[in-house]
Amino acid sequence: MSRKPIANARGPASGSTTSAALPGLSSDDMCPVCKTIRYLNKDMEFLIHPDCYHFMCSNCVNRIFNDGPNQCPYAGCHRTLRRKGFRTPFFGDLTVEREVDIRRRVAAVFNQHEEDFRTLRDYNNYLGMVEDLTFELVSGTDAQRSSAEAQLQQWEAEHKADIERNRKAGREADEASRRRIAAERDAARQRRIDAIKEAEEEKLERARTREAELDTLASAPEGQRPGGGVQLKRRVQVNRAVEAAAAATTNAAGVPGGGVAGAQPPMITKLSIQGLKEKRKPPAPEGPYDPFGGMDFVPSRYKLHDGLVHPDVDKYRFDLAHATGGYSFDDYRARAMFEAFAGLGVFIEDEKEVGSGLSASEVAAMSAGIAAVGDKMELD
Amino acid sequence: MTASPFAVDALRQASGAAPSSTGNGNISSSSSTQRPGPGSATLDLVEQMNEDEKKKYVKGKKLGEGTYANVYLGHARHDPSLLVAIKKIKVQKEYRDGMAPDAVRELTHLQELRHPNIISLLSAFSSKDQNLNLVLEFLPLGDLEMLIRDVDRVRYGAPDIKAWMGMLTRAVWFCHDNYVLHRDIKPNNLLIAADGEVKLADFGLARGFADPGQRMTANVITRWYRPPELLYGARHYSGAVDVWSVGTVFAELIIRTPYLPGDNDIEMVRLISRAIGTPTEDNWPGVTKLREYTIPIEVTPVADKATYMNRFGSVGPEGVDLLMRTLILDPRKRITAREMLEHKWWRTDPRPSRKEDLPRKSGGEEKVAADLKRRPGVVDEEGKAKVARKLDFGGALGGGK
Repeated sequence: MSRKPIANARGPASGSTTSAALPGLSSDDMCPVCKTIRYLNKDMEFLIHPDCYHFMCSNCVNRIFNDGPNQCPYAGCHRTLRRKGFRTPFFGDLTVEREVDIRRRVAAVFNQHEEDFRTLRDYNNYLGMVEDLTFELVSGTDAQRSSAEAQLQQWEAEHKADIERNRKAGREADEASRRRIAAERDAARQRRIDAIKEAEEEKLERARTREAELDTLASAPEGQRPGGGVQLKRRVQVNRAVEAAAAATTNAAGVPGGGVAGAQPPMITKLSIQGLKEKRKPPAPEGPYDPFGGMDFVPSRYKLHDGLVHPDVDKYRFDLAHATGGYSFDDYRARAMFEAFAGLGVFIEDEKEVGSGLSASEVAAMSAGIAAVGDKMELD
Repeated sequence: MTASPFAVDALRQASGAAPSSTGNGNISSSSSTQRPGPGSATLDLVEQMNEDEKKKYVKGKKLGEGTYANVYLGHARHDPSLLVAIKKIKVQKEYRDGMAPDAVRELTHLQELRHPNIISLLSAFSSKDQNLNLVLEFLPLGDLEMLIRDVDRVRYGAPDIKAWMGMLTRAVWFCHDNYVLHRDIKPNNLLIAADGEVKLADFGLARGFADPGQRMTANVITRWYRPPELLYGARHYSGAVDVWSVGTVFAELIIRTPYLPGDNDIEMVRLISRAIGTPTEDNWPGVTKLREYTIPIEVTPVADKATYMNRFGSVGPEGVDLLMRTLILDPRKRITAREMLEHKWWRTDPRPSRKEDLPRKSGGEEKVAADLKRRPGVVDEEGKAKVARKLDFGGALGGGK
């Protein structure tokens, strides 16, 4: 809260909180309640209450509201305010302050995300709806405002759980992105430091080689001096050129690191994606786990009894090979009954209607297609 | 169970027919570019239906190749987003006169069984050279074995195991209640659909329940998951063989390594004997009379619950109880698939994970990719360009209060 309210003085306005009537707030103005001016009280601080946005100095607030709720001292404003609700305004222009407060409140309620919507259009429609509501709250007429307020409250009451869930999810996402950004910033800083270090080392190294070269040239035999002198000059020039180029490249090399670092705080695109007209369905409450997956094959047309016997089967019943291998005569009995009754109760007409098997239209399509077969075969 | 909506019977005739029938139309061995024009008169109804079935799908890239079949990715012609796997079964030299028995098994059983936990057969048709193509639903997330093996990157807990076991047991129960033995249950036959649902696949060894007196082969089920009665060569068995496999898969899910990894049948018997108990006349009357029964060198008593609790305790006492019942040596005493579903483990805490919450292999990578995409502000803006911007008054100015 380092920002000082900007001078934007306006006289105290009449009681209601309509945007046009909101008073501005000024650092060198006087308190409209006690008429103290800053000249007399250097530390004077203006406070507002978000119910009516009438500002007054902290002394007045303490004086009037210390003993419990009291009426706003502005003429014509009959709101009952409490000490607790007063705060320092962030914006000099209280209209803005109020709008921001409203938007903050609406945003807390309508906190759906784009992912909650089936299409982008739905989402944008939703944003539009929320914006309309906000606008009515901010600068609508009294009637509009109260109806919008009612809508908001109704929505809030109805979707409490959703709002809470979205809020939680949003907070987690915030946390994650904050961590990520911090990690990225660290990495960038490390990169930058490395780059600088590298560049310095390179410079040192170059200086050292040049020194060495000059030394060798200086200690060269006399006869080679003249040509050597030229060479030396040229070499120095070359060296300079090389150095310049190298410096350019190191600069260039430095830049990407710096660029990355400069571009660091990647906007938390939390720029609120929210909204909703149709809601994502909450996961259906799960019943108890059904190991059978909702299926059962109890025969409906017959009943299995123990002791259905047939001599052909019975001769194996006490056969050791069957018993030891785990052959199940119960299974056999069940299967024999199943197969005996299989197909009973199946009516071809029903099957056709359900669509298993070839439907009439498929048959028609097929016969129509008979003429069209030919070289279209892609499959082999 | 109703008849499946495509003409498998017709297909069977078409593909099983003698090779001489290829001269008359599209089911010919000539290359696909050279085809007789719309000579509708030359196609009989069966061939026509096959053609129609075939035209519904477009075959894409090859996903895998095996000795028995090639698998292609494909999609429905009318809806390219509907992905399918097309399993093209190779013509096998030994079965010149008809289709290979495993192909017939897969086809006959899959077309009958419709269950959320069983891979669904969408269609089948024959293509040139009498190749059989099975159109199966496309299950993109690999199989359960992948998840079990990837110990470093895939973590799962008791609720996930319970969810997977639930789906597996339902599939097996459904097969058994429709009198089909799967006979090859193992983690890599348990495929995972895009929504996390586990589906039982590969019915190449499946068969219907046998009549009394009818002998079945004992040489089925991948060895590690093979029950003792099959190792001892029993020819008359029941759904209990699948239940044993389910039990070993259950154990494998918990310990994340094959429970009984025997290199050969002898070693399998020894491993079972050591881990679960030696089959004897006491715990399995008649076992010594089985054809390939071997007299054990040493006799280990049947493991008690404490032993199991040590190793499999993470699924709780109820889970261990269920596991023990699936691994009872005597198939007659072994729990059935239906009884498994009635077990109280399903109803005790923790509740099975919802299928969308189950761990998946590619999930982590996807998430990372999504994060990477989101990171630079530029990419993010793309999607939001059309969104009305809205200032946030929620938090940034909160200090005023």
